[in-house]
Amino acid sequence: MSGSGRLAVLPPARISLQRLTQAVALAIAGAALAGALVTSRGLQARAVARTETAQPIFFPRAEILRPALLGFTSLAADLTWIRTVQYFGSRIEGQERFPQLYQFVDLATSLDPHFLDAYQYGGLFLVIARQYPNAIAIYEKGIAANPSAWQLPHDLGRLYFLELQDYEKAMHWWEITDRLPGRPHYIPRFLIRLQARLGNVETAMELWQQMLEHSENEAIRDIARREIRKLLGQMQQKPSPGRIR
Amino acid sequence: MRRVLTIAQMAFTETVRDKILYSILVFALAMIGSSTILVTLSVGGEGRIVRNLGLACITLFGLFIAVFIGINLVSREIERRTIFSLLSKPVRRAEFLVGKFLGLGLTLAVNLGIMAAGLMVLAWALEDHWTPRILLAIGFTFLELLILTAFAILFSTFSTPTLSAIYTLLVFVIGRLSADLMEFASQFGGPSLKATVNVLYYLLPNLAQFNLSSAVVNRLPLDPWVLTLTAIYGVLYVAGILSVAIAVFQRRDFR
Repeated sequence: MSGSGRLAVLPPARISLQRLTQAVALAIAGAALAGALVTSRGLQARAVARTETAQPIFFPRAEILRPALLGFTSLAADLTWIRTVQYFGSRIEGQERFPQLYQFVDLATSLDPHFLDAYQYGGLFLVIARQYPNAIAIYEKGIAANPSAWQLPHDLGRLYFLELQDYEKAMHWWEITDRLPGRPHYIPRFLIRLQARLGNVETAMELWQQMLEHSENEAIRDIARREIRKLLGQMQQKPSPGRIR
Repeated sequence: MRRVLTIAQMAFTETVRDKILYSILVFALAMIGSSTILVTLSVGGEGRIVRNLGLACITLFGLFIAVFIGINLVSREIERRTIFSLLSKPVRRAEFLVGKFLGLGLTLAVNLGIMAAGLMVLAWALEDHWTPRILLAIGFTFLELLILTAFAILFSTFSTPTLSAIYTLLVFVIGRLSADLMEFASQFGGPSLKATVNVLYYLLPNLAQFNLSSAVVNRLPLDPWVLTLTAIYGVLYVAGILSVAIAVFQRRDFR
């Protein structure tokens, strides 16, 4: 039986009492939910204030964490990675440093040693944070766990070439990249140029340009655009000694 | 065999009428769909987040179905006294239990199929290509859930539904941990602990063996021989636990 049907058989006094109860209940519901909304906004503001204070974050060791995850380690690695991206993204625009970036990337890659994106982007984030030894450690860890993935020696070679100007090491890692299946077509060209031992801004520019063209990720392309703009600025200030041909 | 199939069909009809099944299914599909929100928070790894979360949801919600429906299949018949009318017919107790197991197995297969379809479509929409290896991972999850269903039925033959649920969930936890326990014992334990863990390792199901999600998500090569052995192990384990359940159920006095 419908609500109105039920009301039809009740005396008028009962009907008005029921309607009054209904109206009061709805009013209380509206007030209570509005109050909950206000409280929730207050809690949210406090939560933001809490996360903005530089609290040290506890990083459990992956070996200890793994049994507690009951086999869902790969998913835990994904969630750690999302947290890493949020950590990096929240600080990249400001002048803040990244004291826990390495721990984040290390935990994500320890939980899933085959998580290539975490090594690649994690290494890149560490490079942007100017934490070169940590970036090298992440790339080398990834290469040891994934010896057939060309992306990691490729990126490590790029780090040695662009940031550390250690051309011998860059060549070593690009030679390894060159032997791996699926490597990009430009690697042999880079190797030839490196053999001429003439690294310069224009070559760096081309490396970033390659990343801009080949990366499927908009955030990474943004980083490449920014680096290219930086290099263009450098080129305008100081003319390059000559491009490798 | 016909009697077993009739009971299986009845058990399947009974379980698909259970409202809890639909709540679990809707919630599972919503969780799988929610991975698209997580993807927007990440840089890289978008496809694997969807596949990882989807496979984890399928395992966990499949576990809930196996446990919370499995524990009631036998106990409900006893509670409602319908077991008397059933067993007064020419139906053996073994046929009754196997039929119930097959019925719930079919329910699980249908539900996993729906969840798998949801995950496959989502992964395809995101990556623009099909990833059939997800189905392999889900197939082995199904085997894992069949082992747990057999345990749920075994426990429900001699215990209350609440305790049966707790015992079955504990089997899941220990089964997923058994390889880690073995490693801990070999690193830190004395000879007696090592021996105990060794016995437990072979006695309890090694459920970690059925978890292919990391290999599938990372596109790692899978050894067909290991997969075949794992499948045989799963079938034999189910047969073993169901046999124990039949032996216990044979001795059960319903007065």
